[in-house]
Amino acid sequence: MKYGFFPGCTLESAAYELMISTKKVAEALGIELIELDGWTCCGASHIQDISEDLSLAINARNIALGEKLNAPIMTVCNTCTLMLRTAKQRLDEDEEAKARANESLKEAGLEYQGSSDVTHMLWMLLADYGLENLKKKVKRPLKGLKVANFYGCHIIRPPQIMGFESHLNPQSMEMVAVALGAEVVDFDQRLACCGFHAVFPAEKEVMQKTGVNCLSAKDAGADVLVTPCPLCQMQLDMYQPDAQKRFEESIKMPILHLPQLIGLALGFEPEELGIKRHIIDAIPVLSEKLSSK
Amino acid sequence: MLQYDVVIVGAGGAGMNAALSASKDSNLRVAVLSKIYPTRSHTGAAQGGINAAMGFRDPTDSIDKHFRDTVKGSDFLADQDAVEFFTTYMPDIIRELDYYGVPFSRDEQGRVAQRPFGGASSPRTCYSADKTGHVILHTLFEQCLKNGVKFFDDWCLLSLVVENGKLEGLVAMDMRSGEIHPILAKSVVIATGGFGRIYWSRTTNAFNMTGDGTAACFEAGIPLKDPEFVQFHPTGLAGTGILMSEACRGEGGYLYNNKGDRFMSEYAPSKMELAPRDVVSRSIELEIRAGRGFGEGMTAHVLMDLRHLGKEKIMERLPQVRELALDFESVDIIKEPVGVRASCHYMMGGIHVQDYKTCATPVEGIHAAGECSCVSIHGANRLGGNSVADVVFFGKYAGLGAKETAQNRSLGNPSLVSAAANEWMSKFSRMRTKTTGNNLFEIRNRMAEAMWYNVGIFRTEKNMVQALETINELLEAYQDTFIGDSSVKYNTAFIHYVEVGNLLKLAKAVAMGAIARKESRGSHSREDYTERNDAEFLKHTLIHKEGDLYRLDYSPVKITKYQPEARAY
Amino acid sequence: MRTITFKINRFDGDRAWTQAYDLNHEEGKTLLWALTKIREEQDPTLNFTSACRHAICGSCAVRINGHAHLICKTSLDEILEIYKSDELAFAPQANFDVVRDLVVDWRPMTERLETVKPWLIPTEDGAADTGFIQTPKDFHKIASPTDCIQCGICASECEQLAENENFLAPFILNRAYRFAVDSRDAAPSEHIRPAFENDLWKCLHCHACVSQCPKGIRLDREIAYLRQESMKMGEVDNAGARHAYAFHDDVQSKGRLNETTLPLKTEGMLKTMRRIPFALRMVRTGKLNPLHFPKAVNGIDGVRRIYAKVKGGKK
Repeated sequence: MKYGFFPGCTLESAAYELMISTKKVAEALGIELIELDGWTCCGASHIQDISEDLSLAINARNIALGEKLNAPIMTVCNTCTLMLRTAKQRLDEDEEAKARANESLKEAGLEYQGSSDVTHMLWMLLADYGLENLKKKVKRPLKGLKVANFYGCHIIRPPQIMGFESHLNPQSMEMVAVALGAEVVDFDQRLACCGFHAVFPAEKEVMQKTGVNCLSAKDAGADVLVTPCPLCQMQLDMYQPDAQKRFEESIKMPILHLPQLIGLALGFEPEELGIKRHIIDAIPVLSEKLSSK
Repeated sequence: MLQYDVVIVGAGGAGMNAALSASKDSNLRVAVLSKIYPTRSHTGAAQGGINAAMGFRDPTDSIDKHFRDTVKGSDFLADQDAVEFFTTYMPDIIRELDYYGVPFSRDEQGRVAQRPFGGASSPRTCYSADKTGHVILHTLFEQCLKNGVKFFDDWCLLSLVVENGKLEGLVAMDMRSGEIHPILAKSVVIATGGFGRIYWSRTTNAFNMTGDGTAACFEAGIPLKDPEFVQFHPTGLAGTGILMSEACRGEGGYLYNNKGDRFMSEYAPSKMELAPRDVVSRSIELEIRAGRGFGEGMTAHVLMDLRHLGKEKIMERLPQVRELALDFESVDIIKEPVGVRASCHYMMGGIHVQDYKTCATPVEGIHAAGECSCVSIHGANRLGGNSVADVVFFGKYAGLGAKETAQNRSLGNPSLVSAAANEWMSKFSRMRTKTTGNNLFEIRNRMAEAMWYNVGIFRTEKNMVQALETINELLEAYQDTFIGDSSVKYNTAFIHYVEVGNLLKLAKAVAMGAIARKESRGSHSREDYTERNDAEFLKHTLIHKEGDLYRLDYSPVKITKYQPEARAY
Repeated sequence: MRTITFKINRFDGDRAWTQAYDLNHEEGKTLLWALTKIREEQDPTLNFTSACRHAICGSCAVRINGHAHLICKTSLDEILEIYKSDELAFAPQANFDVVRDLVVDWRPMTERLETVKPWLIPTEDGAADTGFIQTPKDFHKIASPTDCIQCGICASECEQLAENENFLAPFILNRAYRFAVDSRDAAPSEHIRPAFENDLWKCLHCHACVSQCPKGIRLDREIAYLRQESMKMGEVDNAGARHAYAFHDDVQSKGRLNETTLPLKTEGMLKTMRRIPFALRMVRTGKLNPLHFPKAVNGIDGVRRIYAKVKGGKK
């Protein structure tokens, strides 16, 4: 299985642990990831607020880079997935928009054809790799680890663009967690927004949401909160101490990237998956709950 | 006590346009009462369009043709002076609506787009995709917001207080608090819409279309005119009666029976599917009766086929209609035909308006506009596209009329209005605290059944008399009802009790008018009197309510230009 | 016989409680059918608003298991299938005051709506006695936005509105957009400026509104447009605009976001100083390398030429 890999900006620095864990998991599962040569930021919904045409063009370019590899494109960030898929849908459905984008791409010696699908690792595991195959690779079942699955908006909404599963009651993360042997915990902020994109203009509201999201997982008895999006992970982890200031109850909820959860089940140690880089220390609970291989 | 110069009851197209007109005199205090939030009004459900002889789509169209089509469509029962007034100034209304910001669909020259519609000799139905009523309603609401119109929403009209043929005031309930208020007003515009819910189980009408204003006027001594003329829209969805716009046929849809024939060729060889609604509804029922329909019972139907229009045209002109078929029948009209059958849609009859230029009724101070009123411009059958036009047009003139009335009247007698309010307060208290009685929903459902089967599309003396008996029984049973909710605040069980009372009175009038009219004309179709009888029945029915007595009378039709002739399409 | 249980939030003006009702399952029915049946056959004190039954009046929005739907067009079977359960929880729309049971108060929302002057401010090209000329292309711009039935589902779903009552519900932003792009409107800024002044940049881009809008209106694109226009109107000196430009400029310059300079560009030096504890935490765990500056990507020339081409083609 081969994919053009679109990491997204955050994997370069603030979410570098996701880069590490993604690559380790891919290797262990026998999935070939070829990083797109010269990929740019997807715009992250911010360039979209300046110019729709510009965001369409730069993402047409990103997808065209994947098309050159004759492979589908895989991401590990919700927003990147949404931005690329939004562009792709527009380019595939609107001939005029595609023509305009290609005129711009010609300046860079590229052409968008529409031959590469855009998927996220979570979808890839269910649709392409198969849960049964994933189960077979589990070396250390995550028995006893209670996991709260925080989807993050952009992997389920809007259904017109994402559409992999119901946006009202998605179950893909739960299915993966169960396949890894973990125990799934239901909590009422499961499908909530982390607020990352508005943390600067709407700091107060976003910090409130950060606290509520984590506390909701905690009140439901979760050991860790897992998310398929580095932006959610950063928001809920990096800003957790800031959010804590607004809450009396101690939050202390470790936040894991989905590939880290998978990596742990595949037998990697937390340090190998970059878990030490997290702001909220996940090592204690993982040491307690995870059996040795 | 609340006091206003002009009170408008109902916040649909007619009510809101009346409010805008009445507000032109900034010295007048104008208020709009509405049982529901204004944008929920049933004007918003109108889909296909609004008629006006703009002459855009067809430069040979004219006001006179619109006039003639409307009169012919009415089976010559419409008052022609009123129709001429209406058709003459409708193009101005379209221009006003455009200036207000209504998002009309456009033709290649950027003018308001027009489409063909039933019974029209020229395509003059101005439209906005298939949501014309919705956009007009919202635009009028926006204009009301702009002009600071005062709305009292969730206020239900209970009665009008009239003494010696003059308006004293009205009584209304603030549903949220449960308080019943006497209101003094110099003039009132009743714009509460139709009462299709007398056919509760098979109607295109919203749940709130219970004729509250019509019944209140009826109680206050204003006769109901032509109540027997009930329009059944031919294309309601088979399962639910939900409206599938006439625009489906206007854009070229076909109707088929189970033999695969476009059966309209038998009934209206020239206009086919675009014959007027009464003709098409009857044709569908006849096909079903003759065993050429699909399904059985209340959901028996024929098929409407739009596939040949093509995806692009459907998505451009009928997108919401497509959603309806998808949501309610699981049918995609791009790919399959959809089951349709007649559904009660519109009341040509209503509050007797005696001055078409001001919409004044015989009671000084009370004006009426929109579906609740009967001017009459629709006579025995209304053309599609003429109702949205009617409500905006006569809403405007009723507002102007009420404005002038208010400028020339003083407020009524507070103690009379108070007394009426007190009676309602006692009634509310009684109904809240009662613990036994007849089931309101059963009464309502029995009324609906009697009306659909016996005073429906095809009528006979025997059946209608039976229906009238049933309604009288139900009126009796209604005297002892149990509503099941003792709450003071937001007691919609009590409101529904009032609504069912209104429906029963109106149903009785419909049955009476239908029995007395021994002919077939427009939508009133009798199997025992199959021909139109101008000699004896070229006249309006008037039903007066005097206490418990319903008295039937007639009044002449105003004929100016078009002598009655055979009506064929 | 399959029984469906409806757990409904009740409120009588004073007291709130949850009440469960059981109904026998019937095929091909909507949620409105269920509530109406409960009201007429089991409990006439149950209150909810409904009118047209066919998704045009906007009366019947209700929260089912936390998300708002128009119950007249929501299939009972589909909802049961989505939640894989024979029990459903009903609540009134969020972010509205409750009048009784599932009935909410629209008056405050209407007042907020007026903030954006939701009416046409006509240009001089039209008059009351002539109307307007408008091209079919210009009509298309307002075709979808005018589908809005003010059902309030977007307001109920909005995660920013839940935290901040100053935020304008998405349907209000839709109205601002609808007039801003109507060729007959003389003053788009009269609609856009109030949106900007009422926390336009606080939208989280969570897409909850878009996902549930029964008319499929692309509120996300409309909000992006309002932001674009606000910047063109000169409102570039705020955190949201500066943040967007930071991305825009970084991609043009290197192709990647520079996370170190991002807060500086967005908030300025003074505010960024507040974030020093935050930054120190990140440096400690190795998450932030303050000396990390992204290299320009392969093909950055192409990216810059794309920028130039796109901007060259713009008005």
